[in-house]
Amino acid sequence: MVKKIYLSIKAILKGHFTVLKHLFRNSVTLEYPEVHPFLNHYFRGRHVLEGCRGCGLCKRVCPSDAIMIEKNDNNYLNKYVIDYSKCIFCGNCMFYCPTHSMKMSNDYELAKTNKSQLLTDIYYKGV
Amino acid sequence: MDKMVLNLGPQHPSTHGVLRLILELDGEIITSVEPEVGYLHRSLEKMAESKSYIQYLPMVDRVDYLSGFFYSYAFCNAYETLNHIQVPEYANYIRVMFMELNRLASHLLWLGTYLLDLGAISPMFYTFREREDVVTYFEKVTGQRLMYNYFVFGGVRHCDIYLDEALRIVDNIYNKIDEYEDIITENPIFLSRTKDIGIISKQKALDWGLTGPNLRASGILQDYRSIMPIYDDLEFDIILSSEGDCYSRYIVRIYEMRESVYIIKQCIEYLQNINLSNVPLNNFYHKQKQHEGEIYSFVEAPRGLTMCYLKSVGEDTPYRVKWRTGSYYSTQILKDILKGVYLSDVMSIYGSLDVVLPEVDR
Repeated sequence: MVKKIYLSIKAILKGHFTVLKHLFRNSVTLEYPEVHPFLNHYFRGRHVLEGCRGCGLCKRVCPSDAIMIEKNDNNYLNKYVIDYSKCIFCGNCMFYCPTHSMKMSNDYELAKTNKSQLLTDIYYKGV
Repeated sequence: MDKMVLNLGPQHPSTHGVLRLILELDGEIITSVEPEVGYLHRSLEKMAESKSYIQYLPMVDRVDYLSGFFYSYAFCNAYETLNHIQVPEYANYIRVMFMELNRLASHLLWLGTYLLDLGAISPMFYTFREREDVVTYFEKVTGQRLMYNYFVFGGVRHCDIYLDEALRIVDNIYNKIDEYEDIITENPIFLSRTKDIGIISKQKALDWGLTGPNLRASGILQDYRSIMPIYDDLEFDIILSSEGDCYSRYIVRIYEMRESVYIIKQCIEYLQNINLSNVPLNNFYHKQKQHEGEIYSFVEAPRGLTMCYLKSVGEDTPYRVKWRTGSYYSTQILKDILKGVYLSDVMSIYGSLDVVLPEVDR
């Protein structure tokens, strides 16, 4: 019994000492709105489209049916709309693009006040 | 005396999802238990029948969001075996390395939340600090923190993995596991809440189909990593404990983390000696006709044996996909082992089984 009490007190003190060591260590938290985390170029954020021919392979590999492609009468790309309320950021549209025109940027702040603002036309029409 | 019926859940902070336990109480002692699952059902098996293989691949990570790489591996392995796709050796090593890192992250999260269930608050901050390192590393390589979409049919997406950083993270975790043990393992409060509580005997564990660390804690030598071909060249020990109570399940997981570190170091050593810079991106789109047939692939996930049944009739979409997950079997054993224990021990026993509800319901 005495041995058990001794061992218990010893174990608790050992634990407290380990916890106390953290007083002298650096903090690991990020103060988010002021400090932004480092993101590698593989990060999958908002889409960027440049030089798309409108072949529609991204539409075929998209698992959540979030891509809408609209062409004009001359069969040129007119609109490329991504529905961010459906998109799951799996990156399939980027991985399987045959012309490498789809990229995903490091922009991850996607909150909007209106659902219709999440329907974004990302086709870059040039100057 | 009248018996009281008590609902535990569906929204309970320590059920890691939504599990409803209908308990029948005689005073403070439980007389019967009815676990009710299905609140997180997302029809991931039926979904496969309407999507092509490539469309379904990102969905596979969502079967269990804490260890997505294992499920990706099981599905990719099934497809590759069916279609006779050769996976290069370096890709197998990268897969093993990422799966073991994922096992570390999963066990660390289990450790923190289990101690939180028992009332200890500070270990949670420490385990989440180390898990954050692993998850940030995954984000750096694959692009996302939990839903990776990194394993593809025939290998991995790209080979630009930052080996030095992985080595630093793993070394750091190995040192920190000793610190966790200093705080937890001999603590008298932890011992009195876990020792000799929730005992699962050998026969009972086999009867209810337990796998993984829960089965090894009952003293049965069964680790499917020892018969998986990708683990052939790697050395590791299988952790066993004989008591089968909550404490031995904790001990098995703690020592398994050390073994994972050991496996990752062997993989890093192999990968550092080969040139990965000229390996092309692996993003090919399958246009050929799929092979017919059915296959059953397996992998040893952190929560037990995971199996993927895949049947193909030669179309672009799978004919049938079926998942066998470890958590489902850990949930149904509650019916047996919760009988006759005190109400205050329910969360101690349930937490030690490491159940993740999305995996139960799929």
